[in-house]
Amino acid sequence: MRISKSIYLFFLPGLVLYSLLFLYPTISALFYSFTDWDGLSTAFQFVGIDNYTRAFTGDSIFQKTIGNNLKFMLTVVVFQTLVALAFALIVIKNTKTNVFLRALYFFPTILSSVSVAFIWAFIYDPSMGILNQVLQLIGLDFLAQNWLGNANIAIFSLAITQIWFHAGQMLIIFVAGLQAIPEELYEVAKIEGASKWQAFRSVTWPLLAPSATIVVAYTTIQSFKAFDLVFAMTGGGPNNSTEIIATYIYDVAFKSYQFGYASSISVIFMVIIALITYLQFKALRSDRVSY
Amino acid sequence: MKNKLWLATGTIGLGFILGACAGESGGDSSSESGDATQISFMHWRGEDKAVLDDIIANFEEANPDIRVEQNIYPSDQYQATAQRMLQEGSTGDVFTSFPGAQFESIESAGFFEDLSGEQFVSNFDESLISVGQKDGTQYALPYQLVFNMPVYNKGMFDELGLEVPKSWTEFQEMADTLLENDITPIAFPGADIGPNQFMNSMMMNNAPDEEVFAKLQNGEESLTNEWWVKTLEDFKLLADKGYIQDDALGTNQDSAMAMVANEEAAMLATGSYHMNSLLDLNPDLELDLLAPITVEESEATYEGINTATFMLAVNSNSEKKDQAKAFIDYLSQPEVASKYANETGQHLTVNDVEYESEALQNTSYWIDERNTRFQPRFLITNAQIEDAVLSSIENVLGGEDPMAAAEAAQQIVEENRE
Repeated sequence: MRISKSIYLFFLPGLVLYSLLFLYPTISALFYSFTDWDGLSTAFQFVGIDNYTRAFTGDSIFQKTIGNNLKFMLTVVVFQTLVALAFALIVIKNTKTNVFLRALYFFPTILSSVSVAFIWAFIYDPSMGILNQVLQLIGLDFLAQNWLGNANIAIFSLAITQIWFHAGQMLIIFVAGLQAIPEELYEVAKIEGASKWQAFRSVTWPLLAPSATIVVAYTTIQSFKAFDLVFAMTGGGPNNSTEIIATYIYDVAFKSYQFGYASSISVIFMVIIALITYLQFKALRSDRVSY
Repeated sequence: MKNKLWLATGTIGLGFILGACAGESGGDSSSESGDATQISFMHWRGEDKAVLDDIIANFEEANPDIRVEQNIYPSDQYQATAQRMLQEGSTGDVFTSFPGAQFESIESAGFFEDLSGEQFVSNFDESLISVGQKDGTQYALPYQLVFNMPVYNKGMFDELGLEVPKSWTEFQEMADTLLENDITPIAFPGADIGPNQFMNSMMMNNAPDEEVFAKLQNGEESLTNEWWVKTLEDFKLLADKGYIQDDALGTNQDSAMAMVANEEAAMLATGSYHMNSLLDLNPDLELDLLAPITVEESEATYEGINTATFMLAVNSNSEKKDQAKAFIDYLSQPEVASKYANETGQHLTVNDVEYESEALQNTSYWIDERNTRFQPRFLITNAQIEDAVLSSIENVLGGEDPMAAAEAAQQIVEENRE
């Protein structure tokens, strides 16, 4: 069948939008990362790789934000994936209760991030917050913490909020993946005497790998970009313990007016996300099988 | 043209990669509407909108050829995005600026219209408007006068027979008495504005030199020197002795205000701008201002902190500068300023304002009779150095040794010195 050349015209709107709204601006950000542009004036100077050198050797806050971001990302990726998978296994069958539970778990995802931030800031309040009050009520007052005010745990408190916020979304992806696994494979496993764990390890997990790849990659990107939650709940404090790369870029660009330097951090940020996503993709791809 | 295109797309590009820019209310609002010219008044005081709506209605009645639209952004967002909007020129014919880093950045970008020769400048108290000047030119006119020092429960002090302390020793004695009466001396909102407000009065007498932060930025001073290490030691003492509440770094300003309104705490470590809110929460409170004197009485130079802020200015990119100036002229009339002051519970920098509320009258003596110092934090013009200074306070309240916290902050100062 001969395809008419006019079919390529259908690609054009998307290509134009992509180039205009993503490609060209991204290239310009790369361009500005080699300048000292302040974001306001029309004049700027080329500074070579100075901004990149500064980021890696002369900016201890930026280096701290990478560490914070990795802590946040690892906590969120591991626990959000496990929580979403565990809940997905519970609500996999299409009963009325399970459909209701899926909707319930998905509910936080539709809330605005600022609302979520306010709700959780209230929950975490050390004196008036529900969390410490409940812990005291059930005799676990030794676990009561200054959740957002303690620099050692604040980033993990934010991670818990992020998991609550997005686990429902990942659950839906896992449910779809689980439902696509043919029932016969479990029957064969059963006939061959496989235990539930063996069936999960040899049937469920390998066939769920494409869904898991999406969940892990998406969760990673989400946790790197958790700007709004961090901004509204802690503003990066105390003592920069919750400052992540995205909030730091904002501070450098819009509070310090160093757009050139902020652009270089943005480029590094983009490379870090791309690299981690690629490695995850490779790792999870090796787990994939087809029967 | 090509250059501008690069500039615009660069901004968009950064936004895309960051992927996290907040939306903004308002927008292009400076236009001709019918026969009247519409100007945009851009500011951050959402809580003053109703009062300003009234004032604007009166202004429009007196000037039927001018319409004023308010474009209000939350203060955090305002600090970050005002410059961008001023650059374009369609928003913020009249705008407000914070003193310090924002004033410096707008001035260096050339967005301030020179107001030096305008007649309405004389409506302002000359001694309070210098913060809006640069190299002898009046670029902006501070409208509000706030005192960034603790608000205290005067009624409670009277009941307990406490006097306002005049030295660090007296301050600690006063705090001990409050603790003995099961009252937390200071409610400190460490999760948000506490450090950036309370640092001012905590350091005002430890470093009486008003150039100290300018010297820090140019390398002549260090945070590891005595003035800042002592300030951090004083903060540590407040935490160690329980003069500020437990878990202070997790307490936000609403919770801290509730502590003072419920009389669980005697002082609120923020500023005069919270007096109205406290009285809304508990109308029976009798309030005044009190800054900790962290040295002995004989060594004290200052009694408190002031900030002339909400600086009115005209956008140099505006095409309606005359109308914009007419609006500032109107705001600076004593009767208009009095209305604004009384209905918002703020002291102003305008001459001949008549304060009607008890709280404003009772604290007016701070304007003329007390030796207050301009908020030192606003004299840090580099935002990253400011963050380092504030982080060292959080670090100490989190348990770090003051000298170690000062050294960590000094490292960041050195990395960001221009």
